Amino acid sequence: MSSSPTFTATIEKIIERAPDTRSFFLRVANGQKLPFLPGQFLSFLLPIGGRTLTRAYTIASLPEEEGCLEICLNQVGDSPGSSYLFSLEEADVLCFTGPWGNFVLDQPTAAEYIFIADRVGVVPFRPMIARLLTAGGQHAARLLYAGPRSGDLLYATEWQRWERQCAHFSFRPLIAECEPEEYSIEKGLLPYVEQHFVKEARQHSRRFYICGIGRPVLLLRDLLRGAGYERQTVKYEKW
Amino acid sequence: MAKLYVSFENGNPEQVIEFDPSHAPFHHDGESGSLLDILLGHGVELEHACGGNCACTTCHVIVTQGMAYLTENEEEEDDMLDKAPGLVSTSRLGCQAVMAEGEVKIFIPRHTINQQV
Repeated sequence: MSSSPTFTATIEKIIERAPDTRSFFLRVANGQKLPFLPGQFLSFLLPIGGRTLTRAYTIASLPEEEGCLEICLNQVGDSPGSSYLFSLEEADVLCFTGPWGNFVLDQPTAAEYIFIADRVGVVPFRPMIARLLTAGGQHAARLLYAGPRSGDLLYATEWQRWERQCAHFSFRPLIAECEPEEYSIEKGLLPYVEQHFVKEARQHSRRFYICGIGRPVLLLRDLLRGAGYERQTVKYEKW
Repeated sequence: MAKLYVSFENGNPEQVIEFDPSHAPFHHDGESGSLLDILLGHGVELEHACGGNCACTTCHVIVTQGMAYLTENEEEEDDMLDKAPGLVSTSRLGCQAVMAEGEVKIFIPRHTINQQV
């Protein structure tokens, strides 16, 4: 059991974001507002199989938003954590600690920010990009977001709206047009990054943020660091 | 059998865990056979806010003896350890350091918090 302060929250709303992907809107008990930085996660204490499992889920909502905290996750095969959460209903209660994590964007610097994600890995970028676009200073930012099908892309209408509203933000969806089980970052995302940030226009003042599940995150990290981008400018979070 | 000696900065009594590495995983948190997995599977609590995914530093431990019996750090662990408070040359993340034999002594520091707000 964690020795950190534990919060309880009620699931106020559940929505389907994409196939096998849901958002849970959590209202913290006693009307508490939980301060957090864009990109941080909550650590849930889940009663599964007679013991307490700790599972982390990134906060999708913005620190400035009033009301509920949103977490967004996909159901991963036989993962006990996501299977447990997907069995819950509105009005059920969850316990968590946090916020946690250093994969954050709080005070942007004068650099071009490149956010790279596939599928549910885009979740921390929602509050990060919102922070960037409202920070002043006209920070240039690009979101490269890949998935097997267009319907798998989360918050797509929001990214498109932000692109229309902010001349310095661009959204580049990279759809592999394949079944999820056939999908890999080699089908679009990896070649795109290689073409645009390694072979052409290598600018070492860029800041890269990469998020996703498993080995693809490390492939992208190695590609960029191997091309000469400094270690500290290529940040990543691998789930 | 392998032996893991655990001491705590918070004053908890030292613990000795004797275990058969071939029985890993013990708890299904962190890498199979990792220090985190061994500790949790034997009733010794170690913070692991990210669930043992190398996405935080709350399972930071300091190895005081037997580093050679642990798997070597990978770049991912080193990147994360950079952010750990109280980092020393023998720091490891409990979720990543796998112990398959021998005797290892670790020290669990008090400050495992990396909340930033």
